[in-house]
Amino acid sequence: MSKEHKSVNLRKITESKLFFPLLTLAIILLMDLIIIPNFFAIQVRDGNLYGSLIDILRNASPVMILAIGMTLVIATGGVDLSVGAVMAIAASVAAIMMNPVIIGLELPPDLMKFINDPYFTYSPLWQVITVTLIVTTICGLWNGLLVAYIRIQPMVATLILMIAGRGIAQLITNGVRIQIFYEPYAFLGQGWIILPFSLYLVAILYTTTWLFTRRTAIGLFIESVGINFRSSFYSGINEKRIKMLVYAFSGFCAGLAGLVASSNIKTSDAHNIGIGLELDAILAVIIGGTLMSGGRFSLLASLIGAVVIQAITTSMYAVGVPAFALQAIKGVFVIIMILLYSEQARNFVRKLSAPKGA
Amino acid sequence: MQNKLTLFLSRNSRFIPLTVTALLAFLAYIVGAMLYPGMRDIQVFLNIFRNNTYLMISAVGMTFVILSGGIDLSVSGIVALTTVATAALIRAGWNPWLVFLLMLLMGAALGAVMGSFVAFLKVQPFIATLAGMWFARGMCFFISDDAISISHPVYTLLGQTKILIPGLAEIAWAQGRAAPYVTIPVLVSLLMVALAIYIAHFTRFGRNVYAIGGNEQSARLMGLPVNATRVMVYTFSGFCSGLAGIALSIFVLSGHGLYANGYEMDVIASVVMGGTMLTGGSGYLFGTPFGVLILGITQTLIQFNGSLSSWWTKIVIGILTLIFIGVQSLLVARKGGRKARELSPQARRQRWIYGGAATLVVGVLAVVLIINGGRLNSAVNTPEAERCALKPYRQDLAASLVEGGAVMVYERNGGPDCIDELYAIYPDGRITGNDGTENVEKQVTSDELNQVMTGILERGWFTDELYNTWHTPCGQCYGYYLTVVNNGEQKTVKGVDGGTDAPAVYWQIISLVKGLVPKFTAAP
Repeated sequence: MSKEHKSVNLRKITESKLFFPLLTLAIILLMDLIIIPNFFAIQVRDGNLYGSLIDILRNASPVMILAIGMTLVIATGGVDLSVGAVMAIAASVAAIMMNPVIIGLELPPDLMKFINDPYFTYSPLWQVITVTLIVTTICGLWNGLLVAYIRIQPMVATLILMIAGRGIAQLITNGVRIQIFYEPYAFLGQGWIILPFSLYLVAILYTTTWLFTRRTAIGLFIESVGINFRSSFYSGINEKRIKMLVYAFSGFCAGLAGLVASSNIKTSDAHNIGIGLELDAILAVIIGGTLMSGGRFSLLASLIGAVVIQAITTSMYAVGVPAFALQAIKGVFVIIMILLYSEQARNFVRKLSAPKGA
Repeated sequence: MQNKLTLFLSRNSRFIPLTVTALLAFLAYIVGAMLYPGMRDIQVFLNIFRNNTYLMISAVGMTFVILSGGIDLSVSGIVALTTVATAALIRAGWNPWLVFLLMLLMGAALGAVMGSFVAFLKVQPFIATLAGMWFARGMCFFISDDAISISHPVYTLLGQTKILIPGLAEIAWAQGRAAPYVTIPVLVSLLMVALAIYIAHFTRFGRNVYAIGGNEQSARLMGLPVNATRVMVYTFSGFCSGLAGIALSIFVLSGHGLYANGYEMDVIASVVMGGTMLTGGSGYLFGTPFGVLILGITQTLIQFNGSLSSWWTKIVIGILTLIFIGVQSLLVARKGGRKARELSPQARRQRWIYGGAATLVVGVLAVVLIINGGRLNSAVNTPEAERCALKPYRQDLAASLVEGGAVMVYERNGGPDCIDELYAIYPDGRITGNDGTENVEKQVTSDELNQVMTGILERGWFTDELYNTWHTPCGQCYGYYLTVVNNGEQKTVKGVDGGTDAPAVYWQIISLVKGLVPKFTAAP
């Protein structure tokens, strides 16, 4: 009897959404333990924690933020390709609000103050953050409008903003890479309160989203829209509003990620901020086990997926793989993941964990 | 009368996107020719084809994929990988024709693998080809981190051979102008288009592609080879990407892993503008060249304008794509309405309202942007005010360097970072560079130097082929000066990129020299 009980437990574990992502993460960390000395060392400086593991979490935070929004979008059966471009828009909006003189028509009298005083900004920080997030949420609403009301395929609808978004971001700053000198803004991405500040942002965002999706019916609505939007419509769910909501939320998340990313490098680089991150975010969601066709989702699994991606990246850098060549490894990794999640693989695991003779 | 028109339109509704595209391309060119007299030159029109050979070839492959209801994001990766692998193999002394064959096989093989994933493992096309793109682009950097330049007689033959157009050439000669021409890759790309039209509309395979894109379930029930056709489609697209990569390497005479970044979006946009529906199963291959043409004309218009910055291309392409997808979506809505399926009149009205609202938003946005852009542009024309002041060209210094024995003096100035680089190359292979803050030095073998020098002379440096061109650099553009001394002859040619007015050989020569000189640490 006890044996059967045990195998049922094992089955419960392997069927869990968190199983595969955690397993992958464990394998990667195990390899790091063997290959890279001192990988798990954590130092304490000025009461703050530093180390490779912390670095992985910190560098993963933009993708984690994106992955939260992307999970909900993918759960409705859509996809948001524009997040990278929206990040660039966010960075441009934020930078130009703090530092508008760079493209101003006349030089301001307090130019030197601007460069010398790290606490000088044209708009207060709360305004910068609010306006940026509003702008990116509008970008998300635009995607939602195209998908929900004009019924363009999500991939195509968001592709439009993906193509035009970087152009718009450059237009906002007139093509200038604006330096951000304002210190408090840099805290978003580079600050530490024991742990990196961006991790707290992730935690707050995750908790709020979890509460909204799992403690209200919204999460259920999102899943039902993803499984079958027509029957959801007939059961009285306003399927269009749900879609608008998730795309707007994805835009919001992209804005936040853009703020963190731009404060990390202290510039608004419309060419490079968030480039390819839409793919990382989608990959994180896939690793998290949410199907691209929509339906059941797990936010926590997507977060772990984002950490997995960053863990691979960091380990590869530590081994000495050049930055660009990393993409090839990522590509192979995606293939492995796809194989791992295919029906055949699932059946195989199920067979292994099922009680003998059952 | 109105009834007749409606009937005509609804009977031929599948031709609407195609007609719109063709008209738009025509209109855009007419407007351009009216605004900028330079665009009236037939050579400028032919250059649109020459500059977009690789886009045309990839777009043909992509059309098949989209017709079958899939998407291929891997094109840019395969194109980049092809350029790098070609350059590396040719540098290693391989026969270019053999390399071309290998590259085509490699493209087809990568496509076949992705196609198998899509067909047999039921992976979403978008994910499978994304993985392919990452893989291919990553592999480039396993081969080489830096750009590898190519100089080989076959490349000269393919890139430089001018094919005069019968009829036009005589007219030009009669008027005493240089005859308009195209290059061999242009012919190859047009040949690919013709071949693709034949395959799509006159073979069983083509009909299968349409059937699968229209409805995979029914295609399967009809007993069509769905999986095999899917694999074939991706294989063909991979093959086209390989060919496009070769065309690109001929055009830029080098290979690098960062080439063609984000290029899959241009390809998809041109296919969509060519009237192929992204839902699959509907569209004409005939439209794709027009889609490419619209893209090319847009780029040319923006370049001719001179004061508009390069990002406007992206915005205009985005808006055009949106409009075309909107037209498609409305056409699908009409179809759905005719079958009285699902959409009540109210829902349809609602859709029109929202569609109208979205169009209005885009329109207002466009107007605001254009007005705004105009204001910003007027600011750009008075440069010192807000952007870093353009550093002056150091032509006096260049002249003194030539007197000091340099065989080449190369100067690059401007760009988004307002750089000011000046290199002097000496006959013994010593290269010195200065960008105002930093000095660099490099020693190359005299063989390498001779190769570049021969390349420059072969391209007719001291002939009338190369002449000075200049327009006000846009925010992203660089200005170039190159002085070459050979056998007592000395000539300086200047040009600004971001405009099509400089002869194409000039950019090939510049990229040859670029491959030789060292980099500054601050350089982008």
